[in-house]
Amino acid sequence: MTTEVKVEAQKVDLFDKFKGLKWMVKLRSFQFLAILPNLVLFYIFILAGIFGSPIGNANIIIIFVWILWWFLLISVMVPFVGRLWCLMCPLPAFGDWLQRLTLIGVRPGKTVGLNNKLFGLNKRWPKALSNIWLQNIGFLTLATISILLVTRPIVSAVVLGGMALLATVMALIWRGRAFCLYLCPVSGFLGLYSMTSMMELRSKDKEICRKVCKTKSCRAGSDRGWACPWLVYMGNLDRNNFCGLCMECVKSCPHDNITLYWRPFCSDKVIKGYDEAWKAFIMLVLAMAYSVVLLGPWGFLKDWANISEKGDVVGFIIYAATLWFICLLGFPAIYYIAVKLGHWWAKAKKQNGAVSVKDMFIRYSYTLVPLGLLAWVAFSLPLIMVNGSYILSVLSDPLGRGWNLFGTAHITWTPVYPEYATYIQIALLLVGLYYGIQKGLEIARELWRDEEAAFRSMVPVTVLLVVVTIAFMKLFAG
Amino acid sequence: MKKRFRRLKFLLALSLFSATIFPFAIAFGQMSKHRYITIHARQYAYDPPIIRANIGDTLHIRLVSKDVTHGFYLEGHDIDAEIEPENPVFRVRNPSQGYNWRSTSEIVINLQKSGKFRYRCSHTCGFLHPFMQGELVVSPNYPYWVGVILAFGVAFWLLWQASPKEEVKSDDDRSES
Repeated sequence: MTTEVKVEAQKVDLFDKFKGLKWMVKLRSFQFLAILPNLVLFYIFILAGIFGSPIGNANIIIIFVWILWWFLLISVMVPFVGRLWCLMCPLPAFGDWLQRLTLIGVRPGKTVGLNNKLFGLNKRWPKALSNIWLQNIGFLTLATISILLVTRPIVSAVVLGGMALLATVMALIWRGRAFCLYLCPVSGFLGLYSMTSMMELRSKDKEICRKVCKTKSCRAGSDRGWACPWLVYMGNLDRNNFCGLCMECVKSCPHDNITLYWRPFCSDKVIKGYDEAWKAFIMLVLAMAYSVVLLGPWGFLKDWANISEKGDVVGFIIYAATLWFICLLGFPAIYYIAVKLGHWWAKAKKQNGAVSVKDMFIRYSYTLVPLGLLAWVAFSLPLIMVNGSYILSVLSDPLGRGWNLFGTAHITWTPVYPEYATYIQIALLLVGLYYGIQKGLEIARELWRDEEAAFRSMVPVTVLLVVVTIAFMKLFAG
Repeated sequence: MKKRFRRLKFLLALSLFSATIFPFAIAFGQMSKHRYITIHARQYAYDPPIIRANIGDTLHIRLVSKDVTHGFYLEGHDIDAEIEPENPVFRVRNPSQGYNWRSTSEIVINLQKSGKFRYRCSHTCGFLHPFMQGELVVSPNYPYWVGVILAFGVAFWLLWQASPKEEVKSDDDRSES
């Protein structure tokens, strides 16, 4: 039985199992109600960032965004429900509503070949930029100033507020969720890591989409649902990367052919281009960099990154240049060597029909996805275990002004069993390593179609994965 | 009968055995010591950033702040201290017993647990306060070495499972051909 057949056999149709779930997502108010509380909180956080205490652990924007939300996003949401955050994200909300000129309803009509009435210029995004390179550079840019972003409330407020403004403006110029698809740094890594998630929205029978359905309402919209803001056609959707789980297609599909599946971890395995491969490199290297700079004991690195307070310009340039070099060139070069060695050894076994180095380079980069995700979870874990108690205190005193709204402002900093974090981190890394190697071997077998060639091709990459895993273990526990 | 890579099995066994006994052999040779350390705290780091010791050692720790008031929370050891600038005497408490502070000029800790334990600032000292930390590494660092062994084990096991299997003909098959 092939891997794909095994995965298909293990999928659980959630709409079939939970009728209430299908009813709920088909409500027109579903996404609005999911977004609304986050939108209210978002603007409270922006105000707190601007007017509240400049000390991060006394300000709700830092604690709730970079401790609580980040931990929930990377450790709970992504592995289990993929891009579900995109359904409820407040950043593009105003853009969506301005495009649609309605909060909840649907406006049938005709706009640029779509079956909805849309406001705005509705331009096509430039084809040359229809990839995630801008997201890669955007995330790397934010990562370079991350120490400022996660410790200065005003920086968080300006960056997040700026992203919301940009998303709104982009929605008035380009069709769909152009900001989310091509620019949002969060969307970039959510797309990559959602490949591992245990939930997917798919058509039940793609033949119905391709051969029976005449309207393609999922993509084009209808009187029952908006055209997919992610520009997805469900007849072709085979990965989680670019589905924001807004559920419009569930509403608009005239054949009731869309459903939510529960599936095994790491079911999507296909990396499709250099942009996605580089996203895998960048995210893995940044997990290491954050662990070194933020969670490491080396003060000089924090000083270098802390440019606005320490003013060490030379140090900041060294830090930034090193980070960008390793992310964009250094680690990819090491990975390329591993791939090339594997290719050389495999080709010795299978001369005819050998897989190209390019295909191996792109496809095998998936091995870094589960390891990278679990490394990020391992990085995020101490943040919540050590600093989670601040959540209660800032809840009562969100601006750090001495308030006590809910009687919890007096709760002092109390780490929760931080000495056990290393055990959990080691376990997470081992899980990431396991899935990285296992999925790599599956990809190798699909590509090489020869058991020994596939095995040989994966040995050097496996060595690299082990080295990376041990490097993380050394940081966290060694 | 199926035949697998015998060398791979031997290498696996040898690696696991070596990785298992090596750190214990090293640790067995070390005698318990009294270690006297002065930890300097400044925005946002400790000096020394990493303290290495062995299980059974006794640490005598003096704390000094170079700039503002800092904390010193040693995870796993029920120690929390508050250090004022340029004052060799500092306050210390056991978090499990609440906020009963006592003044001292030295903390004495007998290391009974191995692994990595971070010491963190527990008194808001500035923007990067949540990331101000150092590391106490107590050898033999069992969690780390077990993790390394398991990482090799996972890789070897998966490669072993994926390694091509040769069909070895039985004597009957050989004589027929």
